Amino acid sequence: MDIEKLLTPNRITFELKGRTKEEAIEELIEILYKDRVIEDKQEFKSAVMKREKEFSTGIGYGVGIPHGKSKAVKEAAIALGISKSGIEFDSMDGEPVDLLFLIAVPDKSDDIHLKILSYISRRLMHEEVRDRLKEAKTYNQILEAFK
Amino acid sequence: MKLLAVTSCPTGIAHTYMAAEALQMAAEELGVQIKVETYGSIGVENEITEDDIKEAHAVIIAADTKIDKEKFEGLPIVEGSVQEAIKNPKKLIQEAMKLEKREQPIEKISKKDEKKVQGKKGPYQHLMTGVSYMIPFVVAGGILIAISFAFGIHAAENEGTLPWALNLIGGGSAFALMIPVLSGFIAYSIADRPGLVPGMIGGMLSSQIGAGFIGGIIAGFLAGYTIVLLKKWIKLPKTMEGLMPVLILPLLSSLIVGLLMIYVIGTPAAAMNTGISNWLDNLQEGSAIILGLVIGLMMAFDMGGPINKAAYTFGVGTIAAGQSSSVMAAVMAAGMTPPLGIGIATLLYKNKFTKEEKEAGKAALVLGLSFITEGAIPFAAADPIRVIPSLMVGSGVAGALTMLFKVKLAVPHGGIFVLPIPNAVEGALLYAVAILVGAIVTAFMLGNLKKPIESKDMH
Repeated sequence: MDIEKLLTPNRITFELKGRTKEEAIEELIEILYKDRVIEDKQEFKSAVMKREKEFSTGIGYGVGIPHGKSKAVKEAAIALGISKSGIEFDSMDGEPVDLLFLIAVPDKSDDIHLKILSYISRRLMHEEVRDRLKEAKTYNQILEAFK
Repeated sequence: MKLLAVTSCPTGIAHTYMAAEALQMAAEELGVQIKVETYGSIGVENEITEDDIKEAHAVIIAADTKIDKEKFEGLPIVEGSVQEAIKNPKKLIQEAMKLEKREQPIEKISKKDEKKVQGKKGPYQHLMTGVSYMIPFVVAGGILIAISFAFGIHAAENEGTLPWALNLIGGGSAFALMIPVLSGFIAYSIADRPGLVPGMIGGMLSSQIGAGFIGGIIAGFLAGYTIVLLKKWIKLPKTMEGLMPVLILPLLSSLIVGLLMIYVIGTPAAAMNTGISNWLDNLQEGSAIILGLVIGLMMAFDMGGPINKAAYTFGVGTIAAGQSSSVMAAVMAAGMTPPLGIGIATLLYKNKFTKEEKEAGKAALVLGLSFITEGAIPFAAADPIRVIPSLMVGSGVAGALTMLFKVKLAVPHGGIFVLPIPNAVEGALLYAVAILVGAIVTAFMLGNLKKPIESKDMH
């Protein structure tokens, strides 16, 4: 799976600063905005927060995968933030989140991108994948973790 | 032990797959086999087949969207949310393992599968698909026309009035869609979605060229198999494949089916109509009872097709000058008999009709009383070889009796609603007798000719 197409090096931060759900999500949106993936920050954020209200995308084990489908997104993309201090995310298991994946999907997306996203989602369910991601220091280590 | 599962979340981007993975991991840990179907934004992946359902012990549905459970009928189901599947997949799997596999309904499932499998191959199933989509159009349209008649049989002629509107909805629209829907869904059953376009267009043409429902059935099969062949023959480079469903298939298939309908089906249909009209003119010189019999047979043969139209037009021609006519009386009696006979048959011979047909049978009684012969079409289309002769004999009897009793009619339509009109019918009581006898003959023949439903499905 070509994860590197969606998760490029400049869409990753190893030092996510935000402490709350909203702050952290905004930080990752900013990354995608600077990368010219998102045209309208506000519009995309409201899509993500709306999805978050249905039920938290904090799936437990310190992982959160907020995501939004919106016409403000030009192409499918993922931003990854690793937090040292943990984010209060209202997770299913109540634990703070330290791995935060923000998934942006345009209104009309092709299947290849959606397949990559479904692959990433599946991989995140595995403990060894999560552990390797949390320890990753470089972009290559992150890609390796998904293999 | 084998379990099945379906996962689905509202956006279908992440949680659907996480839940699927979680269930697979938990199943592996617990030592059970599992197949997880995902309903995501990509569509359905790893789809559960009928064979899977046969082998399965139970189903887990972990979804926050609506999942059609019909296909799992007979299997015990554990339901949970996507979150539950992600958070505690083991619990769902253990619950599913604990459920008892119900033997009885599984039998039913496998039986249903067999039927479905053979149905996919046989023309009978295609025909039945078309018919079952057509029935509600016939019922809704027919009853609306009957209500419009209730205002008086000429009430629909005044534009803007309620009876006019009812007639426009029922006759002008619902009935106009009846044949296209029949053909369209026959073709749909054969060739899936691409069949719909040439099927409906072919059906529409069948109505326009006066080929009636028999032309419609031909159009449906023609359209379905045209698509099947076109798909086999046309090979496009990958980059142009997108053009197939939107441009190439609909365009070529409509063109082929349309031209065949107009020139190959339409020309003989029109010729038949003219030929029969001339023949009837000659027949008028001879025995009235034979004329009544012939008209009756014709009315019921193709209900709305060229032969029926020829008889009906001939009948209307005889009252055009304003006097009442025994030919018109025979025409209407023979047109009321088919749906009436079928309605009676569905009440008398319950094992010969599907559940859907039994419901439609009640409506057919109303339509028969209103001289809306179309009420019989779904039944005739579903089993033409047994139903059409039954209808013809009953209508023939009704037509001949009408002549024998010297009943006369002064209006071209209306069924039972002509009764309140002064001088519309001469010999109303005997007229009712003729129609009733004809209908009972039809019902009796249907009861003896039609096969019981189960045995038919087995073949």
